[in-house]
Amino acid sequence: MRSRVIRATLIVGVLFLTGACATSEDWREWRGHNTHFASGEHGFFSLRNNKDGSNPKVYRSDIEDARRQNWWGLYAIRVTPEQIFQN
Amino acid sequence: MRDNPLARWSVSGLVALTLLLATTGAGLARPEEAITPVDQYNTSKAKSLASTYRGQLVQFYEQIYHCLPWLGVMKNGIGFRQPRGVEADDRYLSVWVNIDQMDDGSFGTLPAERRVSAMFSRYGVDLLRRMVGLSGIAGDANVHGFGVVLSWLKPGTGRGPSAQPVTETLALFIDKATFGEFLAKRLPAAEFVNRARLSVFDGREALGRLPLEIWEDTFNTTFKLKGYEPPRDQKC
Repeated sequence: MRSRVIRATLIVGVLFLTGACATSEDWREWRGHNTHFASGEHGFFSLRNNKDGSNPKVYRSDIEDARRQNWWGLYAIRVTPEQIFQN
Repeated sequence: MRDNPLARWSVSGLVALTLLLATTGAGLARPEEAITPVDQYNTSKAKSLASTYRGQLVQFYEQIYHCLPWLGVMKNGIGFRQPRGVEADDRYLSVWVNIDQMDDGSFGTLPAERRVSAMFSRYGVDLLRRMVGLSGIAGDANVHGFGVVLSWLKPGTGRGPSAQPVTETLALFIDKATFGEFLAKRLPAAEFVNRARLSVFDGREALGRLPLEIWEDTFNTTFKLKGYEPPRDQKC
């Protein structure tokens, strides 16, 4: 019983600590991309080309897909448009 | 003009980079998202420009998309924007791009002002030149000038599973007359920089004006991505 309480306390504590550090922007980013791993199109690109990198055929969509299939859990710290523009 | 420190970069890394990169990809625009929607402007002048030149903006986006695949236009990244802090309704045709590049180590050894100078020389001047070439825009009295916003991964960040990437950003706006003189080589680069509104950011931290140098760099017009050909009907 006591170990359950300790475990529950630990879980709540970890959730609080991690959640407390996340801004609403963090959560929005996270919710929008609920997988950590790129897959799909990137795999098709690999299959279409020789493994040694010879004779590559790169379509514009390959590049775009690869850009999007990234490590969404961490996103870059970037200046906001409001720091640069006013409409 | 200075020696181009970027010439040493391994451009072959661009293929790997564009395929593997991407910690800075969030916020990149799909084609239909790249152009600032008319309803997001708050003045009639801006709305009018955005409507009148919609075709040219699409054309510009497609040129970047197909001809410069190492650049990614940010969401709403193309539009007739007003730089922050400008009181008059001066409109600059602007583009905000994220630059995909793989650092072979030499880029990270450059001080911030050299990185900014290198990026502007390589990508900024070329993008400004392309905007000037868009039909009708440069001659429109309601267009005050042109602007480029360049973002790239700050060297040394984003490595390892727990390192959050940080982007460095240069925003530069220049009036039409000054840029015209610069292009015609009637204005020294130093004077061009003096007249430009420019700001540099490290992540979200404003660094203000950094000393900017400009040199010749033909990368955008000469580099060929191995295995990639733009569509035949696309004029690059």
